[in-house]
Amino acid sequence: MVDHRNSPGITDDFIHKASQVLPADTCLPVGMSAGRGLFEAPTVSCSHCQAMVIINPLRNRERGYCPGCDRYICDNCTELRRINGQCKTFRQLADEIVEAALKAESIKEI
Amino acid sequence: MGKRITSYTTLTPTATADTTNLVDSTYQIAYQGANTTQRWNIVEVYLGGQAGASSPSIMLLSFDSQVATGSLTADAAQTDTVSDGSAGTLTNALKVFNKAATNKPQRDVARHLANLSFNAFGGVVRLNWPLDQQFVGVGNTASFGEMSLSAFTGGTTGLMGCHIIYEPF
Repeated sequence: MVDHRNSPGITDDFIHKASQVLPADTCLPVGMSAGRGLFEAPTVSCSHCQAMVIINPLRNRERGYCPGCDRYICDNCTELRRINGQCKTFRQLADEIVEAALKAESIKEI
Repeated sequence: MGKRITSYTTLTPTATADTTNLVDSTYQIAYQGANTTQRWNIVEVYLGGQAGASSPSIMLLSFDSQVATGSLTADAAQTDTVSDGSAGTLTNALKVFNKAATNKPQRDVARHLANLSFNAFGGVVRLNWPLDQQFVGVGNTASFGEMSLSAFTGGTTGLMGCHIIYEPF
């Protein structure tokens, strides 16, 4: 929720500039005055990298989806998945980090 | 172990590029695991504008590619407390800070979590997520063991207050 009802808000130009340097699907949508007034939108967290993706109601392109984990994924991870075909969720990655840390600790004990 | 709330009453954050040192007291909040296996979830992020003039700000919640080292401390304006007084306490509390004595945190260029662009002149931005989509931090090493809330370059940052609700495990 972004509330600019008591604020001049941010312009579409500002949002557009931000989306040139930051992933566009994580920025407020351009062309619907999302930076003015009250803007509420559903979001999804990319299953692979956790980035928050704002569901843009004006989007025409196919939204990134991974059949491996049956979740929406961000545009960057969609491209990565096209290249390497891998599905590794962030939860799996977190488990691997913890397991590696535990394994390292147990080696020290021996 | 129960949700906790980190609040920062008022600060004009300094806009800082990715992979650049976040200087002490120029960003509101950073979290780092107390050990190599600690996890935490981010439940809610809120930013409320307090500026007296138009200040379009690009605030980012992001993983850090360089984690902070040395003594990690916080400004007096930052508080961290349980949301329920009867909640249990962890043996190793998550490190919550905005000052680092040795290495400063650096925002990861490829691991931004949430973009909170808003106008700090009266604007408000609030994000929260369902349980299965909350951001997870894990461990205390780069790039998933530290998160920070800081200002990105490109805007005109203004005075703002914020809070983050999180749950450490």
